[in-house]
Amino acid sequence: MSDFDPGRRRFLGHLGLAGLGALGASSFLSACASSASGPTTSNGSGAVTIQSNLSSPQAKAAMEKLIETFNAQGKGTASLNTIASETFRTQLPTYLTSSNPPDLYTWYAGSVANDYASKNLLLDVSEVWKSLDDYPQSLRTLSTDASGKQIFVPMNNYWWGFFYRKSNFAKWGVQEPKTWTDFLALCETLKSKGIPPIGIGLGDTPWIASAWFDYLNIRINGAPFHRELLAGKQRFDDPKVKAVFTRWREALPYFDPKGKAYPFQEATTALLAGKTGMFLIGTFFADAAPKDALDDLDFFRFPIIDPAVPLAEEAPTDGFFASAKTGNPTGTKALLTYLSSVEAQEAYVKASSGIVLPANPKAKASDSPLVVKGKAMLDEAKELTQFFNRDSNDALQPTADTALTKFIDKPDQIDAILREWQAGAEKVFKG
Amino acid sequence: MPFLVESIWVFWPALQGFWFSLTRWDGMSAPSFVGADNYVELAGDATFRGALLNTVIWLVLFGGLSVLGGFGMALVLLKERRGVGFYRAALFTPVVFSLVVTALVWRVFYQPDGIADTLLRAVGLEHLIRPWLADPQTALYAVILPALWRQIGYVMVLFLAGLKAIDPALHEAARMDGANSWQRLRHVTIPQLKGVNAVVLSVIVIDSLRSFDIVWSMTRGGPYHSSELLSTYMYSTAFQSLRLGYASAIAVVIFVLALAVILGYLVRAFREEAS
Repeated sequence: MSDFDPGRRRFLGHLGLAGLGALGASSFLSACASSASGPTTSNGSGAVTIQSNLSSPQAKAAMEKLIETFNAQGKGTASLNTIASETFRTQLPTYLTSSNPPDLYTWYAGSVANDYASKNLLLDVSEVWKSLDDYPQSLRTLSTDASGKQIFVPMNNYWWGFFYRKSNFAKWGVQEPKTWTDFLALCETLKSKGIPPIGIGLGDTPWIASAWFDYLNIRINGAPFHRELLAGKQRFDDPKVKAVFTRWREALPYFDPKGKAYPFQEATTALLAGKTGMFLIGTFFADAAPKDALDDLDFFRFPIIDPAVPLAEEAPTDGFFASAKTGNPTGTKALLTYLSSVEAQEAYVKASSGIVLPANPKAKASDSPLVVKGKAMLDEAKELTQFFNRDSNDALQPTADTALTKFIDKPDQIDAILREWQAGAEKVFKG
Repeated sequence: MPFLVESIWVFWPALQGFWFSLTRWDGMSAPSFVGADNYVELAGDATFRGALLNTVIWLVLFGGLSVLGGFGMALVLLKERRGVGFYRAALFTPVVFSLVVTALVWRVFYQPDGIADTLLRAVGLEHLIRPWLADPQTALYAVILPALWRQIGYVMVLFLAGLKAIDPALHEAARMDGANSWQRLRHVTIPQLKGVNAVVLSVIVIDSLRSFDIVWSMTRGGPYHSSELLSTYMYSTAFQSLRLGYASAIAVVIFVLALAVILGYLVRAFREEAS
């Protein structure tokens, strides 16, 4: 949702968890073994408990308002539990496997949700989908598990792109590039003016680099190959993957050298202050941007490299799934139906003030030029991908972080890096 | 009875941890027994070897320097003088902050164009400037420094307590016998501190092996595992890669290491006492 995307936000949350880690080695690990006695929350026909990771103030207030409205409608009662996003991420398996789990959870569509579904942990919500006839097929497919039932209800999605300040581009006399060649030429121009062309923020948030990998891969090898690669059906040491890095290397000299040391929040500040030219980032970055800067922001899509490859864009989808063990499936589905309604989705978009696109096709998104342009870009795409960790799983993300930050530092060692990446990925898929 | 409670709290989880190290487990499904597979994998894991080496570097640098620094400071600040309380308090203050807060402060210090870079520029050493926490050459040392900054005060307090407990008559007698201050330090002070040394050693070894929070909050073991310690590697294996069996094997290695160092010292200490 408009809030900072938590699956990849290992930033503040981990600081909190760090304390736990210090408790000691073996005893800490085994403490998790007793996950059977998870949080005690709902029973029978009582209130539906919704476990939310939307902890940024605006998103939290928006969710509170939605739940309040739902309770006033008299179709059931719900109570909201907002949890710091990193705690939520590490605790989610524990919630789902506990004997008396919370009913409903905010989370991501795609292979992360399917993973849980394959372990029979998620509630079949096909019934809710019956009332979602007008949702696009792409969202329905995304919410369907391997056995053909729907297990996810999408709330909204957002997009990634090269963001820049219109006033700066005008000042430097440059335009949005369409192709990779244009893009490199633009970088050269900016560099000659003394501006580091490409901003990035890898200190603390190394997953930002995965956006580059995702995009280069779907532009060069296409979305189907990308998904197979992330599902472990292709190899990272494949020559096709190496081709991605050969392209990337052409752009490496234009990266802001300071980007290795600071997180994406500071890379955002650098972009807004005109210290970098552009920044490949998801719309959530704008949460931290001051209002006047927001009106000056624009973006262009990741440049086309091979026109023969069907156009794909990253559009991470956020929403809800429910526990298979919920004591109150009727109430849970009623709440899901409400959350997917035009009314609820519009209320959420309005209250959260972020740049997001509601999942319900009838719900109106914000009519700012930025959102209109983003929606048009996604509508034009033949295929949508989620993001590295969402198309694979959270466990694969660290292997990408290691490989990609190392590549940015030592591009000469790419063959060894890809071999290590493949070895690391095999361990993850093996479990 | 207290022993029974103790065994449930301590030994049972430890044994369970050992059992998990023989399994493959994702934290959700039931663990499946794989024998010594995890240990075989550890032996061939380059990241694990790097983490082990870093842990040894950490133990030597962090442990050694904090003992030297702490002992030196304790000697300097032992005599009651005007304002000595202020200096002691100043050195001890970092201990009061949580390591996570310490890490946040030092991160600001290290950030590009931060205080560290400004200082270097001021003294004309700008060619040394680098992304301290993002450069694999410097990341580990850049994290050891704030850990030391904190630990020295702590060790100093332990040594101060030990030094205060030494009977002044011993020093008096040594002085009468014509011992100079170096000889008194070597033959009176240090032998008298034996009890404190055992405590300090245990504290240092345990603190180095579990130095997790400061590394995690500053570099998260990165960039690409260059500042990885056994503790951070264990954490990321367990809670990011969800390989809890393998992580338990790392935990067992940490436990054995800590035990070996401390037991080694204790055995030597007891033997000396007996003779």
